[in-house]
Amino acid sequence: MTDAAQGRRPLLVAGLLAGLLVASAALVPLIADARPAREIPVENVDGSLADPGADGWSDVPAATIPLASAPSGVPNADDTSVRAVEVEAATTDDTLFVRLRWADSSTDRQTSSPRAFADMAAIQFPVNATTQPAIAMGSQSNLVNVWQWTGTGTTQELLAGGPGSTTAFEQPQVSVEATRTTIGEDGGWSVVFTRALNASVDNRTQLAADADLNVAFGVWNGENSERAGQKAVSEWYYFPFGPAEDGAPFQTILWAVAGIAIALVIAVTAISVRRAGQEAESG
Amino acid sequence: MAHDDVEIADGVDHQVAMVMDLNKCIGCQTCTVACETLWTEREGTEYMYWNNVETRPGSGYPRDWESKGGGWESAEHNERSVGEIPSQQDYGENWEFDHEGILKEGEDKALKPENGDPEWGPNWDEDQGAGEHPNNYYFYMPRICNHCTHPSCVEACPRKAIYKREEDGVVLVDQERCRGYRYCVEGCPYKKVYYNAVTKNSEKCVFCYPRIEGEGPDDEVHPPACADQCTTQLRLVGYLDDQDGPIYKLVEQYEVALPLHPEYQTTPNVYYIPPVAPPQHSEDGESVDVERIPRSYLEELFGEQVNDALDTIERERAKVERGGHSELMEILQDKNPAQQYRLEVFDDD
Ligand code: SF4
Ligand code: SF4
Repeated sequence: MTDAAQGRRPLLVAGLLAGLLVASAALVPLIADARPAREIPVENVDGSLADPGADGWSDVPAATIPLASAPSGVPNADDTSVRAVEVEAATTDDTLFVRLRWADSSTDRQTSSPRAFADMAAIQFPVNATTQPAIAMGSQSNLVNVWQWTGTGTTQELLAGGPGSTTAFEQPQVSVEATRTTIGEDGGWSVVFTRALNASVDNRTQLAADADLNVAFGVWNGENSERAGQKAVSEWYYFPFGPAEDGAPFQTILWAVAGIAIALVIAVTAISVRRAGQEAESG
Repeated sequence: MAHDDVEIADGVDHQVAMVMDLNKCIGCQTCTVACETLWTEREGTEYMYWNNVETRPGSGYPRDWESKGGGWESAEHNERSVGEIPSQQDYGENWEFDHEGILKEGEDKALKPENGDPEWGPNWDEDQGAGEHPNNYYFYMPRICNHCTHPSCVEACPRKAIYKREEDGVVLVDQERCRGYRYCVEGCPYKKVYYNAVTKNSEKCVFCYPRIEGEGPDDEVHPPACADQCTTQLRLVGYLDDQDGPIYKLVEQYEVALPLHPEYQTTPNVYYIPPVAPPQHSEDGESVDVERIPRSYLEELFGEQVNDALDTIERERAKVERGGHSELMEILQDKNPAQQYRLEVFDDD
């Protein structure tokens, strides 16, 4: 090693340290600003928000959730048209309300001719609330509940253990109200799903859990002949029903990032100091 | 096993089949009415004809069904061609007629659809055919679901709600599992699955399975109603793998009974004896030695095999004309119902 190279080493170490600090500092506002990825806030409310137009919804924070075509073996599976759904959730002591709003300029309410398909939307929960089953309708060992609203005015509650396995509960416990609404500059749907927190039958998701509740969403555009596996879906998200003492998850992430940065700084410093020492001895 | 040299679907014990002799069809639609009365006089089924009889050449039912896709890309059956769902107009609407008023109460008005002015319907182009006078030509073609060996309708269903049943290969829609997705309607290249907009399920020809099982009020086995009621008795019903039966002989041995549109690669189990029309006439009414129905048209329907089939029929007929004996001609003229409908041969399996 030349003298010139030795002279530059402390500079390099200092630069590295500065870089790390800047990087961690830059992450902080980003994280502190956003909710943790995949969390959908749930607001406590007093009265019913079953009506999609209820005033109370204006106080409920919304999460905009991106949708993508579900992987599926059906023809035209990647031809879906809805890109995002806005999700809001609220609970009273005994009821959960979930409002979905999405842009869809065509109103497809019927399936009364061979080529007519209705608009649809669905919410998927794991039967075992804290698990994350396969996103595509769960699996045989890890079932999902699906609440499905159809533009024809029907609501179904389904149990599924993998694609093509859905079966309907005979007595749905979910009720739905839907209206046409304005989304941005265009038309769209505003649909509220309502269910009691306590489930009364086996194989129904217990919503009154004190753990985060995994949830996913799907939307079909009837005008585009979307049905079955040809649908726009989200990844798994969650409603933060977990115990509050855990602290908001973003703090956890913050501490984790800070921890990594500190550890890196210590490591880099230690290595530089040792190298400098070795070089001094050998030089 | 009786079907060593017959291709039937995996997991199917015996394959039920039908042969229709197109030379005998007079287009009377008795079969259509028999089927309609038995199966499709319910809400939502009014527009469906599980059995229809169309004039050929013609657009058929649903209109232009041959251009709507479906079936398999090749004989390997690993890639389906995605078809389309016909529109309600292509099938024809559910017109209502005031039979009561006109026929019973003597109202003085024309018997025509009460709701709307139709522009298309099943067999709209009846008897139109093709060709120029005096050599125009047409024939009738009854169509039901082919209960295919490689049914692309079955493959199309993401819920496996449509299936080929084990005992006889009849293709059925499980009305409990079906969710009305209509992928089977798209997937069948013969457009023989229909969507019931009232029940929100798909439905199709069931090969009158309760009749062939002897589940009727008299506990006796009967052929499907379309065959039983056919005025000219042009249908043979039995099992493709019954080597002593006429179907096996016509399809496998003489190769004169052919599937419609073999290029769709679903391997139908309804077969047709191709039509042999009288020769063409000259301007002054003399017969000339030119076939009236162009071979090219028959090839479009039945593939190139139709040439051999017609040649075989011709040859065997000539044999009989010379005073000889022909098993093939005997089968085609057989009037013995026990031979025509062989549905109980495998009962003690
Ligand atoms: S004709 Fe069509 S509906 Fe019938 S079995 Fe074949 S593919 Fe299926
Ligand atoms: S009943 Fe027989 S002859 Fe009459 S249209 Fe049907 S198949 Fe043809």
